Amino acid sequence: MPTEYENLVTAMKALTQGEEPDTVTLPVAENDWRTRPDTESYGIIALDYEADALHGDNLKQAEAYEGSMDLYSKAKDGAGWIPLIKSTLTEYCEGAWSLNYHGNERESGLFHWEWVFQVEE
Amino acid sequence: MGFSIEVSGMDELMKKMDKLGEKAQGIASVALFEGARVVADKASEAVQGIATSPFKYAANGEKRKPSPEEKAILTQARHGVAKFNKGISRVDTSVGFQNSGYGAITWNHARTNTRTKYKVNDKGKARHASMGGGTSSKPVPLIANAINSGTSFMEKQPFLRKAFSGSKGAATAAIENKLNEQIENLSLD
Repeated sequence: MPTEYENLVTAMKALTQGEEPDTVTLPVAENDWRTRPDTESYGIIALDYEADALHGDNLKQAEAYEGSMDLYSKAKDGAGWIPLIKSTLTEYCEGAWSLNYHGNERESGLFHWEWVFQVEE
Repeated sequence: MGFSIEVSGMDELMKKMDKLGEKAQGIASVALFEGARVVADKASEAVQGIATSPFKYAANGEKRKPSPEEKAILTQARHGVAKFNKGISRVDTSVGFQNSGYGAITWNHARTNTRTKYKVNDKGKARHASMGGGTSSKPVPLIANAINSGTSFMEKQPFLRKAFSGSKGAATAAIENKLNEQIENLSLD
């Protein structure tokens, strides 16, 4: 597992907002939730596949992996988590991330954001 | 100290450059199609790789895989290279699922619970589920997006993202080869 990714997962799982003692932590699961958590907002982070590789001297010299960070929220504005997720992605992936999908689920009433990022091995 | 360089074929090159200006958009379209075709083929292959499980009503926040029927809808739906947009200085297109024609509409598993081929509409008439409208229908791109990006009730399988990412190099090479081939074959008449 790339160290950059492990650091990113740790940072996403530590996302909080609000002042003590009323701080709220974003529940973030790696890969997926077995069942949907009953909270206003939650996140899912995953490393999806190898996006690119650099070969030389008959060896793989460098690898880039693509992953995704999903935010599901009952709030249309993401309940304040969007800027925190974006700044965390910038801190750990520099410029290698973008918003890939944004939609609303009629069945669950949840808003969904999907950011795609790349990390190196 | 002086030196000289002799370039042969300069007249031919200049003529080709003139011709290229006139035919640039057509040449770009043909080359772009070659690249888009590579991406579309990869996307078609990726649809085949979607993992499925028998349909189960997604209750109590449980996650499910797409059903074999949903995968079949994607397999049979129109997908490929969209019509080209030609501007003054650019030609562009997109690759994906088309929201019209055969297989465009399907029934809504999440609301119907049981899969029925025929459904009774508001006026009491039985209609084929695929002909339904309103809440009972789902466009093909929506199913593709639900699988590609995941939902709160469906597992994510980024098949399109992976296909696009994996075909970048081959698509670029195909565009480059076709461009070179066409420029090489430009008629100077």
